[in-house]
Amino acid sequence: MERSSDHGGLDAALAEARPIPREAFVKDLDDRVAAGFPRRSRLGPIPLGSLGDRVRALSPQRLVLAAGGGALVAIALATVVVSSSDSGSAPVAQHADRHPGLQLSKQNRRHAGGVEYLSGASAGSTAEGQSSVRPFSRDTPETSLRAHREIERSAEIGLLADPADVAGDSAKVFAAVHDARGIVLHSTTTAGRDAGARFDLLIPSVRLGDALAAISAIDEVRTRHEATIDITKPTVSLEEMLRDSRAKTAGLLTQLSAAESETEREAIELALRQERHHAAVLRARLSKLRARSDFSHVSVRIESGASPGAGGAWGIDDAFGDAGQILGVAAGITVVSLAILAPLALICLIAWLAHRLWLRTRRERALGA
Amino acid sequence: MTNRPPARSKGVSEAALAATAEASEKAKLDFERLYRSSRDDVYAYAAGLLRDRGAAEEVTAAAFERAYRKRARFDARRGSPRAWLFGIARNAALDELRRRGRQAELSADPLDASGAEGRHDDRHELRLLLGQALGRLTGAERELVALKFFAGLSNGEIAGVVGISASNVGTRLSRAMDKLREACDGAL
Repeated sequence: MERSSDHGGLDAALAEARPIPREAFVKDLDDRVAAGFPRRSRLGPIPLGSLGDRVRALSPQRLVLAAGGGALVAIALATVVVSSSDSGSAPVAQHADRHPGLQLSKQNRRHAGGVEYLSGASAGSTAEGQSSVRPFSRDTPETSLRAHREIERSAEIGLLADPADVAGDSAKVFAAVHDARGIVLHSTTTAGRDAGARFDLLIPSVRLGDALAAISAIDEVRTRHEATIDITKPTVSLEEMLRDSRAKTAGLLTQLSAAESETEREAIELALRQERHHAAVLRARLSKLRARSDFSHVSVRIESGASPGAGGAWGIDDAFGDAGQILGVAAGITVVSLAILAPLALICLIAWLAHRLWLRTRRERALGA
Repeated sequence: MTNRPPARSKGVSEAALAATAEASEKAKLDFERLYRSSRDDVYAYAAGLLRDRGAAEEVTAAAFERAYRKRARFDARRGSPRAWLFGIARNAALDELRRRGRQAELSADPLDASGAEGRHDDRHELRLLLGQALGRLTGAERELVALKFFAGLSNGEIAGVVGISASNVGTRLSRAMDKLREACDGAL
């Protein structure tokens, strides 16, 4: 309830004593208002001052809309940049997602001629020797090193084919193995919608480059994984042990020819049998090692499935897939941006609130309340 | 390339669009009108609080400039345009007080020079007395008096500007007026 007491004529006296502005000031202010308060900018023709004014003049709703629009544009641009920079490896990554059997190892992934090459060593590489991670080629210098080094090689190739082409591609794999004088250890072929095939091959190492080139030419190569293991050390070691065994056998034969008693001859013959058995074991192990270097194990998988690059027309499934991928990238960028910006925004908000509180306190203090 | 007419949505008449635009314009703050109706009040408030004509002019100009630049932020749901303007003017005035680092000191008393130069009658004496009495009030009390009797704000509007309840405004004003009357006792 508003009080309306007269305070003994004091109200009227105060109203009469009301300060009145000077005419010159009123005229000057009227002119400034009519001109829209032109800013006496020290920045000259640079429109930074007017830009700041425009930002300050924006209503909170428009400011939020402008900031949101800017953020959306930034996210869209970042999505385009990230998507385009990933486009080279995207099909393979996508393929790897769809075909768990062809999972890629990021550490070992590298490009070669538009094909993702995967190089690495098997678990046995650390036990048997150093691993060399070079993809094979027909002109590899390893051929000249064969006289000095024993190298075990293995390879895995993933082919992507239309379901209707799987049978034909399988026949071409057999033909390639035959041309390389290799051996098909195991093969399975599946027909139908999820048609596919798998081959375990032994290819003479000297023909491995030709064989891989022939297999790669059959259809679209989605993955190619090659590994080498240096088995020179165990081979040389076995060869030396075998030489020692032969020398020991020769010595025992000499002793046997010089034996004079039956007992002595029987003892030498027993040692001789044991040594020959030992030598046979060594020869078998050496043979296996040499077989590992002479023949390379190759796994070939033929997969079928929809893919933009698999020869089929780009369809609605691909569109959904691409849209999901783009949305995923955009969501990732948004999350990362929020993770960075949210704490900063919170700090700015706290600083702004603290500044407002400080300013209000100082103003009230200035009033002497 | 063919020249096609600009696309236009169907079913929305130009009159309806014009009416919508007009309503939108009316919803915005009519700054010119607010300025015309509040200019002298803002000045009177600033002069009464600061008791310095030059500072009051600066504060008045600064308040209107700030209001002009922030006019798009005005929200009618949060109060009247006058209350919003006086909130800005109050901040400008308190900033001026803060800048000077002291409460309003007399560099030129606004009450003894308000169009009464050369006059030495009873009314002039009363103004001088009122000026001295106002100087004895605290800044907060003087602000309430200035908002009430110089700017012509209601207690409710003052409450919105200062940030206290309307009843509290009435109580404080009454107390301030009692102090003023005591100071002016015998002259009224």
